[in-house]
Amino acid sequence: MLWGRFMDKATSKATIRAAGLALSAALLASGALAAERPDFTGVWGTYREPGAAGPQRGGGGGPQQPALPLKPEAKAKVDAYRAAVAPSGDTPGGFCLGTGMPGSMLGSGGYPMEIVQHDDLLVVVYEAHTEVRHIYITARAKEGDLFPDRNGYSVGRWDGDKLIVETTHLKEAVDQGRYPHSDEAKIVEEYHLTTTDNGGKVLTANMTLTDPKFYTEPIKAEKKWQFLPGTRLLPYECNEPTWEEHLEQLRSQNAGAKKGS
Amino acid sequence: MKRSTSKKVSLAAALVTGVALTSAPWIADAHHSAARFDLSIRDNYVTGIVKEFHAANPHTKIVLEVTDKKGTRDIEYEGHSLNNYYRAGWRDGLIKVGDKITLQVGPTKDGSDGGYALGVTAADGTKF
Repeated sequence: MLWGRFMDKATSKATIRAAGLALSAALLASGALAAERPDFTGVWGTYREPGAAGPQRGGGGGPQQPALPLKPEAKAKVDAYRAAVAPSGDTPGGFCLGTGMPGSMLGSGGYPMEIVQHDDLLVVVYEAHTEVRHIYITARAKEGDLFPDRNGYSVGRWDGDKLIVETTHLKEAVDQGRYPHSDEAKIVEEYHLTTTDNGGKVLTANMTLTDPKFYTEPIKAEKKWQFLPGTRLLPYECNEPTWEEHLEQLRSQNAGAKKGS
Repeated sequence: MKRSTSKKVSLAAALVTGVALTSAPWIADAHHSAARFDLSIRDNYVTGIVKEFHAANPHTKIVLEVTDKKGTRDIEYEGHSLNNYYRAGWRDGLIKVGDKITLQVGPTKDGSDGGYALGVTAADGTKF
């Protein structure tokens, strides 16, 4: 009996000690993991190598984009879209429509972006058209609650110091400037942080677009952003002139109606 | 968006001037078409009196009263987005109706009046 009590106490102490050690190990591990995670929070602009020429439009400059491995039916769709807009040069952005993926993550027209990083969520705001992407780390929406969108639905996970983001539920987008895609496209981004010789932070995103409906093989691309300390993201109201013009028309109509009455 | 306005907006172009790039090398390289304009021409300048100046996105609208060999008339120019102008040095109130300003203009390809304002010299000499 006495022995039994002794053993019960001993077992309890051992159990408590083991549980304590396990908890400590878990805390240490989570702390270590958290410590490995870089902080992407801040405003980022398109990275340019020191001394590199800035963007020039209209002068025929810029690298020639390699031909995309489009399937015939997809190529026909894309060609038809490009032929339709070629005479006017119309673009979604010109109609105040956000870029959508993957154009947003590949530069969003050259405007900066801001990342707000939480443990369970990263919010990416692209200045152009104030496009917003949410990258969910833990909270995931139910499949039935999702619907297609130009930027899709993004979930992320940390792999050491790398953030892996997977985006699905995209709309078909033949109007993507560089990489048009179907509604079956899946985009994986891998983000990692480096530091330049002068101490600047560079965020590199390696993208792989897989789209069996549009492409014969995965598309890969890289985008580099540079940290812009002290920079704020500006508002990007785009429809304001349209609204003001409409309001002016309404006022004119009302004035005309009053005169006629 | 009403079609008439959309068309006008969509035909606009946006790009970065040398001035803008000097002040902020990461500034937007634009995402709108420049199809209507010959942007390879970089030495075309137009001076006029400001009749309208609307800093807006995706493109700014500038109307100048211009006098040249064709006579005196109001000409509408398109320009960079408000955001790009801001980063290049424009500030609210810098350009006012009645100011005499100079635009560096990428002209229309068909030779008609108008063009794309690649750069602006304000009445007080500020360039952006």
